[in-house]
Amino acid sequence: MANTILEVKNLVKYFPIKKGVFRKTVGWVKAVDDISFNIFEGETVGLVGESGCGKTTTALSILRLEEPTGGQIKFDGRDILKMKKDDMRKERKNMQIIFQDPYSSLNPRMKIKDIIAEGIKTHKIKGGRQVYKRVGELLELVGISPEFMDRFPHEFSGGQRQRIGIARALALEPKIIMCDEAVSALDVSIRSQIINLLKDLQNKFNLTYLFVAHDLSVIKYISDRIVVMYLGKIVEIAEKHELFNNTIHPYTRALISAVPVPNPDYQKERIILQGDVPSPVDPPKGCRFHPRCANATEKCSQSEPKLIEVKKGHFVACHI
Amino acid sequence: MKNNKKTILEIKDLKTHFFTEDGVVKAVDGVDFKVYEGETLGIVGESGCGKSVTAFSIMQLLDYPGKTVGGKILFKGEDLLEKSEAEMRKMRGKDIAMIFQEPMTALNPVLTIGFQISESLRMHFKINKTEAMKKSIELLDKVGIPAPEQRVNEYPHQLSGGMRQRAMIAMALSCDPILLIADEPTTALDVTIQAQILELMKSLLRDFNGSLIMITHDLGVIAEIADRIAVMYAGKIVEYADKKTIFHNPSHPYTFGLLTSIPRLDMEVERLNVIPGIVPNPLHFPDGCKFNTRCKFATNKCREEEPVLNELENGHLVRCWHSDKVIEEAKKIF
Repeated sequence: MANTILEVKNLVKYFPIKKGVFRKTVGWVKAVDDISFNIFEGETVGLVGESGCGKTTTALSILRLEEPTGGQIKFDGRDILKMKKDDMRKERKNMQIIFQDPYSSLNPRMKIKDIIAEGIKTHKIKGGRQVYKRVGELLELVGISPEFMDRFPHEFSGGQRQRIGIARALALEPKIIMCDEAVSALDVSIRSQIINLLKDLQNKFNLTYLFVAHDLSVIKYISDRIVVMYLGKIVEIAEKHELFNNTIHPYTRALISAVPVPNPDYQKERIILQGDVPSPVDPPKGCRFHPRCANATEKCSQSEPKLIEVKKGHFVACHI
Repeated sequence: MKNNKKTILEIKDLKTHFFTEDGVVKAVDGVDFKVYEGETLGIVGESGCGKSVTAFSIMQLLDYPGKTVGGKILFKGEDLLEKSEAEMRKMRGKDIAMIFQEPMTALNPVLTIGFQISESLRMHFKINKTEAMKKSIELLDKVGIPAPEQRVNEYPHQLSGGMRQRAMIAMALSCDPILLIADEPTTALDVTIQAQILELMKSLLRDFNGSLIMITHDLGVIAEIADRIAVMYAGKIVEYADKKTIFHNPSHPYTFGLLTSIPRLDMEVERLNVIPGIVPNPLHFPDGCKFNTRCKFATNKCREEEPVLNELENGHLVRCWHSDKVIEEAKKIF
């Protein structure tokens, strides 16, 4: 495989819980708690997990849109957590994000040409008349007629808005794009249009994606490798076929079995997890999954399993 | 075999329109279907296809500017559209109950779970408060809520999303309804919680002798729970058949498009199929077949004349002029 483009090492992000008149910190939400993984150039890494597992926080921390509490993030060999604000802003030219909700992530008072041009102007990629020419090219690239560039976001449908969001991300010719639930809010027939568009753009520009989603079917389709998170921790990392054919972690197994498959003849054994995901404020001791795990032993409630490589490229955090 | 079953609900040419300032939105425009005793009918479609409006029309819970302007809703042979509001109120919750998508907004935040469940019990049956509370605890236990004696006195915000949905199911089942309508009951939940709720619903259905209408956009959910499926597009049913037929022999281009455009765990595809374009604006539906603007099989006939819901074989209805071409294409894939 190609070079490592992004290296996340021991990333930690805690959010303080403040209470009382003096806003004293009474506890921490351990959203992301010591995770490490790599992303190689040109690949798509799927980051999957349920609400509150820390997958979005991970994506935002990598961009420093949320300031990480600790750890190291190396992008192209440079430690971006040590960068000054100004340098970081320049670095973000190479790292873009597409948000989940195409309604709230576009400024309703700006014409779409200005939304897309904002980054081009800030980073001085093009100047003068060239700016809007570039905007036109970008719109065409994502399948929107450049004639519409004088319109406002509300004049577009959800799918078109997501295309505009993609054009905005592409405007800076980034190397890596974080897709934070980029297709989750879209209807089925629109979703496949956007997924195909993202794949085409990846081939065309050799983009790297970190694709954050809760939908395993989408993740399986789009990713090369998959990272599974549970309650702020990574429980399993593997190449996608390896992950589905040779699932090791009990949480991953339960997650895969929970996905409803649109085929009435598809036989499978469903593993039903008991209870809900515990609160990240006070996560269970030992393995965070042990209270819901059918195979949990004494050891699981005592010590936390480390993420170890069980097979080339297949990492699991489980005692069993 | 199915035709021997008793019909619980029959919808005939239902039309529900919204009279907005910009014009009339024909959200439901001529929908017909039947629900038999003990079966689960799945209604599937994308946002705005009219599936939820159909449900609200049956319950007659539509708000201004929505109005049912035509058709019949025959529940056990009686037309619900001719009933007065007082008569409807007696039926809602008792004969026909509903499970909503968002349990946080559907439950009253300032009343305890127990109060909300016993409210309908006390309204429809002559029982006192203590008995109603006792029954509520039983119901909560039945839907798998741990420590129901304690939970019954809690407020919705003290419950997790999955627990709230369980409480809402308990509430819907409280008066043993003949017909249960579930509007996207698992959409707001995480996958592992969704699996819990689906398994719960399946096990409850086994000893629940009423019928269920399951409304969802998720083809996976519908494949698990429904017996028969109606696919809706732009206010109309475009295909209607038993579950296996829909998934293995789709005959409407929209059904075919939906099935091939979703990434699936049971199939590997190089590239997803795409239904081009977007759902047309309900204020300006195209002439002829409503799907013609997005259909690769569309001909001049489709642009001029709206197809009727035509029976292909026993119980398999399709609204398309060119279903033979779709069947051919589907054979290659499914």
